[in-house]
Amino acid sequence: MRAKDIALIGLLSATLTAGKLALAFVPNVEIVTLLFIIYSIVFGIKRTLLVSIIFTTTEIMIYGFNTWLLVYYIIWPALVIISGIIGKKVKTEYGFAFLAGIYGLSFGLFFAVSESFFYGIGYGITYWVKGLPFDILHGFSNFILVLILFKPLKNTLDRQVEKYI
Amino acid sequence: MNKKILIIILAVVLAGGLFVAYDTILAPKGVEGEKEVIIEVVVDKEDINETFTLNTDQEFLLGLLEEKQEKLGASFTEYDFGTMVTGMKGYEAQESEQEYFHVTVNGEDAQTGPKEIPVKDGDTYKFELKTY
Repeated sequence: MRAKDIALIGLLSATLTAGKLALAFVPNVEIVTLLFIIYSIVFGIKRTLLVSIIFTTTEIMIYGFNTWLLVYYIIWPALVIISGIIGKKVKTEYGFAFLAGIYGLSFGLFFAVSESFFYGIGYGITYWVKGLPFDILHGFSNFILVLILFKPLKNTLDRQVEKYI
Repeated sequence: MNKKILIIILAVVLAGGLFVAYDTILAPKGVEGEKEVIIEVVVDKEDINETFTLNTDQEFLLGLLEEKQEKLGASFTEYDFGTMVTGMKGYEAQESEQEYFHVTVNGEDAQTGPKEIPVKDGDTYKFELKTY
């Protein structure tokens, strides 16, 4: 790995944490999914996987260790891999908006499965059902954000990559 | 009209529809009308073991606790995830000692917070000080 890559991974990780904190006051509206999808396509799976691990570790440093953070170590790298793979075939923002929407809608389910291991299936189901309004908000806001911002962000980053990387 | 704007409007309408569907089908529902319920408070370390028979029109447990706050000596703390009962009969659960009030409904562990627990006639709600 080149020094340039190390600096880049640090910068990208910082943008994710800053992006998340900037929107933290709006429940379940976030740009983390959008950024992971774009970074995977523009900077490649390998670099973005490292970014996802740094991002989650930073979350632990900010919020302390919680069972739900374990899921972050699985779902963000999984999103990076999925985005990187489908990015080779899907070229329009619609496919990625759909992916981000599904991801947001399933978010509560991912955590409910993980919580079930710790506190039982009954708790997991309650957790999921109780969080469904937040999942709906998350899924649809993800869909709309990616639909609007994917193209301009990707074009800007593509130009920067040509210049500096 | 721009195709993208049309899709966004459709998405917003669909999300609104899903919210309404959730509220109609899945959201916890309160029961209207007068109810008689039992509230038990157990704090072993303070030798508190009291039972209250209460009449209320409140639809959810939090409303009942707020209505009878003085009698029950209840206090609450607001968290991001909702309101928790942190005091009963004047005893405050000590977070530093990992204490909390464990809530059971008719002997079964409550799966949600008091704001979402519907009050039903004849139910028994127990608040027992425990440690986690």
